[in-house]
Amino acid sequence: MALLRAFRALAFILLLFVANASAAPGEYRVKAVFLFNFSRFVDWPTSAFAAADTPFVIGVFGSDPFGKDLEEVARGEKVDGRPLQIRRVQSVAEAGDCQILFVPAAAQAQLGDIVTALGHRSTLTVSDLDGSVQRGAMIRLVTDGDRIRLRVNVDAARAAGLTISSKLLRSAEIVNPAVEG
Amino acid sequence: MPLPTSIRKSLMQIVLLTTGIVLLFTCAAFFTYELVTFRQSMVRQLDTLSQAIASNSTAALAFANPEDAQSVLAAFKADQHIVAAALYDQSGTLFAAYPQSLAADALPARPGDIGYRFEGGHVIGFEPVAEGGQRLGTLFVKSDLKAIEQRFELYGVIVAIVVALSAVLAYLVSSWQQGRISRPILQLAETARAVSDRHDYTVRAAGPGNTFEIDLLTDAFNHMLTQIQQSDRRLHAQMARLSLLQQITGAIGERQDLQSIFQVALRSVEENLPIDFGCVCLYDTPTATLSVSTVGAASQSLAPSLDLAELSIVPIDGNGLSRCIQGQLVHEPDVREIQYPFPQRLARGGLHSVVIAPLAVENKVFGALIAARRQAHSFSSGDCEFLKQLSQHVALASHQAQLHSALQHAYDDLRQSQHTVMQQERLRALGQMASGIAHDINNAISPIALYTESLLEREPNLSDRARSSLTTIQRAIDDVAGTVARMREFYRQREPQLTLVLVDLNRIVEQVIEFTRAKWYDLPQERGAAVELRTELAATLPGVMGAEGEIRDALTNLIFNAVDAMPEGGTLTVRTRVSPGPAGVQCVRIEVADTGVGMDEETRRRCLEPFFTTKGERGTGLGLAMVYGMVQRHSAEFEIDSALGRGTTMQLIFPAYTQEFMATMRMPAEKFPQRKVRVLVIDDDPLIIRAMEDALTADGHSITSAHGGQAGIDAFLAAHGSPNSFGLVFTDLGMPHVDGRKVADAVKRSSPRTPVVLLTGWGQRMLDDNEIPPHVDRVLSKPPRLQELRIAIRELTA
Repeated sequence: MALLRAFRALAFILLLFVANASAAPGEYRVKAVFLFNFSRFVDWPTSAFAAADTPFVIGVFGSDPFGKDLEEVARGEKVDGRPLQIRRVQSVAEAGDCQILFVPAAAQAQLGDIVTALGHRSTLTVSDLDGSVQRGAMIRLVTDGDRIRLRVNVDAARAAGLTISSKLLRSAEIVNPAVEG
Repeated sequence: MPLPTSIRKSLMQIVLLTTGIVLLFTCAAFFTYELVTFRQSMVRQLDTLSQAIASNSTAALAFANPEDAQSVLAAFKADQHIVAAALYDQSGTLFAAYPQSLAADALPARPGDIGYRFEGGHVIGFEPVAEGGQRLGTLFVKSDLKAIEQRFELYGVIVAIVVALSAVLAYLVSSWQQGRISRPILQLAETARAVSDRHDYTVRAAGPGNTFEIDLLTDAFNHMLTQIQQSDRRLHAQMARLSLLQQITGAIGERQDLQSIFQVALRSVEENLPIDFGCVCLYDTPTATLSVSTVGAASQSLAPSLDLAELSIVPIDGNGLSRCIQGQLVHEPDVREIQYPFPQRLARGGLHSVVIAPLAVENKVFGALIAARRQAHSFSSGDCEFLKQLSQHVALASHQAQLHSALQHAYDDLRQSQHTVMQQERLRALGQMASGIAHDINNAISPIALYTESLLEREPNLSDRARSSLTTIQRAIDDVAGTVARMREFYRQREPQLTLVLVDLNRIVEQVIEFTRAKWYDLPQERGAAVELRTELAATLPGVMGAEGEIRDALTNLIFNAVDAMPEGGTLTVRTRVSPGPAGVQCVRIEVADTGVGMDEETRRRCLEPFFTTKGERGTGLGLAMVYGMVQRHSAEFEIDSALGRGTTMQLIFPAYTQEFMATMRMPAEKFPQRKVRVLVIDDDPLIIRAMEDALTADGHSITSAHGGQAGIDAFLAAHGSPNSFGLVFTDLGMPHVDGRKVADAVKRSSPRTPVVLLTGWGQRMLDDNEIPPHVDRVLSKPPRLQELRIAIRELTA
């Protein structure tokens, strides 16, 4: 076990090194980490899960911009004792099974449908699409130079029964969708 | 040696030092505790703050928001002591720093181990930043220690104030309390000084009463003072006794007789010790009793009631007296408890304690000093010791007195002996002189004796008166010869060879009265004084054994003395009587009494001493001495009764001879036929030669005479061998040039069978000493008697 842990630590350091070296901006790499980190700062109601051992699912709708990054970040991780799954969601109907659903810019046409389809289901919707918050997404990842900022629609999240940590909210921009898009 | 310090100072030092040390330890402990707990609480505070900051910074790290991180770190402003803080991301890269202006190199390049530590005056710590179990990064925080310093500065001020206050308090308290210790000690010292300055041991120190040790010290000091006081008192008493002893010793040393010594010692003890009764007893060894010798002057009144008056006898019972006689000092503190007679006797007299000290010289007890008091248990050991020493001094002084007395006796004896020796010397000289005189007298009276005897024998026609006179002459010649013989006895100092015969004292008295008529009748009459003679002779008188001549001489002396004692005349009584003597023996007394001047006591006592005389130049002092000598030689007694002015009576008392008195009869002249002998008479005295020629020629002998020894020898040798040779030689002993011994020697050498008769004035003495020289056949003393000459011739030529 000790050997295995040491090996994993080494592999992780190598991966970081590779990631930094390969994709200097590493935009989706960062976004993948952010997606994973949301699982730490948001509380889901127990009704969000079918059973006690139901896995925590991070879904990516449509075409996947992360490549292998998301799998690498999520590998071996658990959320509140649940195994973490990365899923490619191709239809709106499938979206309800995810606890976090990333809607990439490429699927901007389906955003409205997804939001509507989800209704008040406890799925945290994250998108990097401009104006996505106004369109019902709960968190928008805003690329600002080499940094990525957060915009959060607190009301939407609250409506979906999700509690977003105040710590996250401190470093995010809280948006009222009625005012700003 | 360290300098002396006062108790006050020492106590102060002890209190302050103790206080200081206690405070120091208390402060040190307090500071250490504060330091430890303060650091712990500081770390805890820092940890709490850091955890809060770390928790708040999770989102900033998770979502890579440095601005947010900065703002979170800015919360450290609340604690001014936090000098630096930083956040490191998951990879250990510095993510945000506080304060923002801080140079990057002031922070660790990478996060260190989780936890807090003190390092270089700061405390630094690393806190993990995690959310939901996921580690997101590390928080670094660094705080200075000024909080501790400030706190300790404050403590320092407080401690300084507390120490100062404590020191002041301790000083005040100790200066208040040390008086409790030092004051009594100083008082003790003050008391000690007072005692030694004034020599007053009655002073006592007062203790504080509230400090155990000092009270103990004070008690010990007072006890010591009591002891010193007692010692001082004993010393004074001892000194007083010593001075008394010295005084008594000095006083008795000046005295020479026992009574005086005892009296002085007793009086001093009575007055100065003092005692109620004191006496000295002397021990009598044969009877083993004590006799009271001296009773003290003040004890005289008590003595009779105790039966202890002077000269009373105290028997030695099994009580203290016997121990005293063994040389021990006896002390009976209470005689009532002793059941022996002597202590009981004292108790009855009201005396209840007694000390009996032996008087001993050279371990021999000769007496005891008895000192008694009315009060029981009143003799201290010092008193006993004093009496013991006093008794030794008294014993020594007594011994000296006895020695002195013995010395005096010895001295007197010596003087007496010297006197006797001188008298004997005088006697010897007198004897020698008398011897010469005797020789001459004997020679001188020899012819008288021979002629008187011849006349009485050969002249039948003598008238009665002539015959009586011749007989008296003959008796007088015999007495002269006897007197001369006795004269020599004075210096010979031995009993003369007395030939005692039975004598009739009446006859001797009559003869003496006859002899001395001139003395008692004729001479006083010439002076015009009359002496009346009374003779009272007993009708019958037993005979006594004696030497007639000596008795006659003694009587003559007594009559002469009696007449001399009556220069104015008086009555001379001569008396003989028979009286019963001691042990039933009859005695014959001759009494010669006069009515003269008498003798005083001194004269009476000394009258028998040789050479003692009251007659001055007329007396020889030998008269009564000769009488006394005669008395002693006859075992008789001599009584003198005399008083001044009342005359003197002297008595000669002879033991009577019990056999019937027989008058001594002179052997009648033998008329036997004589052989005719040729006789050679040698003498240097022509009168003697002539008398012998006349006497012996009348007997028919043929006499040849020679004057002197040599002439005699010549005559003998000339006739020797011839028909005219001598049949017998009479020779004088003492002759010039050739004496009688040489004559005898010469005669015997030529004719050993010719008898030699030595005639000598010393004849008697020679016979007594068995000094008959060799070659002498017989010694005859002068004056020779005809009878003796005849006997010698007859016997030697038979």
